[in-house]
Amino acid sequence: MALRRTTRSVDGTIPVPALLYKDEEIYVSQDGVGIYDGAQKSPNHQAGTVFVTTHRLFYIDSKSPYKHSFALDLSHIMQTDYYAGLFKSSPKVTLHLSGNSTTSGQGTTGDDEAGFESWECEVCAYRNPPGLSPAAAAVCGLCGVPRTSVPSSTASVTSQHLSSSLPSSTASLTVSRSSSSTGTPSFDEGSSSIACPACTFLNHPFLRSCEICSTELPPPTHQPRRAMKSAPSSRPSSPESDDQDPTAPRIIKVSFRKGGDKAFYAVLKRSLKSKMWESNGIGTSARGLDPRVEPHDQNTVGKSGITGILRTVESSAQGRETGMLDALQDLEALMVKAKDMVRLAAELNEKLTAASASGGVQSTPGLASSAEPEEATFIRSSLSQLGLQMSNAPVTLDMMKDERRWIEELARELARVLQGSSSPPSKERGMMKDRGVIALDEVWGGWNRARGVALIPPSTFLLVLPHLPHFTDPPVQARTFASGLRVLHTPPYTHSAFSARLSGMLALTGPKTAMQVAQMEGITLGLAAELIAAVETDGDICRDDAAAAIGGGGGVSGGGAEVMWWANVFVGYTWDGQQ
Amino acid sequence: MTNVMSLSTHTTASGFLLPSIHSAPPFFTQQPNPGTQAIAIEQWTRLILTYARHRRLFVLRVEDAETTGNDWDEILRNERINRKLLPPYLSHILSAMVAKDLAVYEPPRQTRSVLLYWRSPDEWAETLHSWATATGQLNTILTFYDITDPPIESELTGIPIPLLRKAISILGKTGRAQMIGVADGEGVRLFAGGR
Repeated sequence: MALRRTTRSVDGTIPVPALLYKDEEIYVSQDGVGIYDGAQKSPNHQAGTVFVTTHRLFYIDSKSPYKHSFALDLSHIMQTDYYAGLFKSSPKVTLHLSGNSTTSGQGTTGDDEAGFESWECEVCAYRNPPGLSPAAAAVCGLCGVPRTSVPSSTASVTSQHLSSSLPSSTASLTVSRSSSSTGTPSFDEGSSSIACPACTFLNHPFLRSCEICSTELPPPTHQPRRAMKSAPSSRPSSPESDDQDPTAPRIIKVSFRKGGDKAFYAVLKRSLKSKMWESNGIGTSARGLDPRVEPHDQNTVGKSGITGILRTVESSAQGRETGMLDALQDLEALMVKAKDMVRLAAELNEKLTAASASGGVQSTPGLASSAEPEEATFIRSSLSQLGLQMSNAPVTLDMMKDERRWIEELARELARVLQGSSSPPSKERGMMKDRGVIALDEVWGGWNRARGVALIPPSTFLLVLPHLPHFTDPPVQARTFASGLRVLHTPPYTHSAFSARLSGMLALTGPKTAMQVAQMEGITLGLAAELIAAVETDGDICRDDAAAAIGGGGGVSGGGAEVMWWANVFVGYTWDGQQ
Repeated sequence: MTNVMSLSTHTTASGFLLPSIHSAPPFFTQQPNPGTQAIAIEQWTRLILTYARHRRLFVLRVEDAETTGNDWDEILRNERINRKLLPPYLSHILSAMVAKDLAVYEPPRQTRSVLLYWRSPDEWAETLHSWATATGQLNTILTFYDITDPPIESELTGIPIPLLRKAISILGKTGRAQMIGVADGEGVRLFAGGR
């Protein structure tokens, strides 16, 4: 029977996700289905749920999940048909299976274990994790070199699949699972080792030069694995007895009694098309991304050699990143819970306070009063360390003092970064040594670069700024322009000082472009433009746009010089034209 | 504030004395600062109306800033400092003038062309009445043509019909004028008034 020979019984009492390989994923599930073995209904499989994964199709029987559930490797499916149903007949999906059997009853368990267990690559000594699908477990996850002593079952699956596109020859080409299910490695280590011509050391067949003396080795004499597999000696001893005509179509039908057939069939087709079971697991650590996106890419791009290793490292880094994001999501969930924590702590705090108040009356006042603040402080400070604030309880003076001292220290440090250390006439020059005004982002970046470690977050940075004038000489202050740009500046760049200076300069030396002002002040053009704009807002200066030139304006004196700044010629003007 | 920039007045070919601010390039740029801009608009309004009276111009269009060779070249452009008034700025100035009743959009329901009130309609009404009195044409029927194109040139020569109509209707309110339909259009009869 096709059903018995191609499927593998699974314990349906275990949830399906636990049955999956590590690199396997569930695509879709549908309940209320029955199974036809060939043309007849399979009596034991008439009510259950089917799952389609990247590698397999699961049927979990709802009546006796332990006995009648099974899994079918998608690699066995050669063709699928879809029947939409008519009147009382339910929609069905017909699965045409490749002719021969690969699993037989008891032999599977040993193979499964062999495929599942963790193993060490003989080339790069990478410890491959257990639980990968057979195809993925056949090669080393790091260096991509095929596993030499792998149980033949995994190889047979691969070769079977390769030949499944030639239905007529499959039976003769593929290896019966039963023949290799004894579990002995079909690959004899000793026979294929290469003896070093110089020192006679038996080297691993994959090595090109002797491990001991580095003499170049002769090419391996044994045949490639695949050829060995199809050698006549390893052919199935006898095809299993089949009570049906061997040429009869080997089909399984899935009958959808509760609908869902169309979606199921579409997903099944897609899973069959993507052939994820062929993929050897390299790059599967990036599985968080959609595995269906580029399955072929994973197959075609080099999965061995340095490139392969690099790719593996890369993809595992990607996987880690995804994992990290997930972890951060957990943190976000914790943040949501933070309110509850604060409430809880507040309650605790109140209780402590109440207890100490009552205790203060009864017991020795000295003891109680000293015990209370300690506990309460602990709660409050641990909360504030977590970044949570109790709204009703003020931060204790201790913490305030600590924080203030910290901020002040930071301000002192920032002052050094900005103005250089003042005590010795050092060569160390601060960021603002030559400049009177500097953008805040530059300061923040420069400071953190100077710190190197324990970087300062912007919020703390902003807390430090108000303290800066106390530690700088001349005092450095922060200023926000109308555009939202924030800067630090020395006294000559306060609004009033710059405004007076600019107006005087324009009145004395005539109109200037922002570029000229920037040059004269030794500041960047952007900052000059911001400073000038602030003065214009006050109405102390006015503009002459070269766009109003008769020749069409602009571009005559070069880009960026379009606007000339004038002292305000309008203020105080009295009409002196014709009356 | 004092300027070293020597801004000086200038007399145009038509004999108009341009104010010194007309030779300041910022005068031709719209100022973002509202206070500065208000002064600039005020000066532009005064310049336009003064020049209009000087040249007896009644209409100013935004197009006048777009083309050259029109009546307004002397004030909308300043070749000496290579500056001209841009159409958007002129449009802005016109709307400010309309808002202050120093001009009116003519024809109505558009904003590209204004009728300038270098004399208010009230003043025009008085001018019309005193002209009719002076020329002894009270109580006679005058066509609009008689007023806008009299045999002897008057202050009313060339006055646009919409403005003339406004002036007449103002006189009509005090009983000093009466609109009369005549064979070839409209006419008006002016009275001594004071009734």
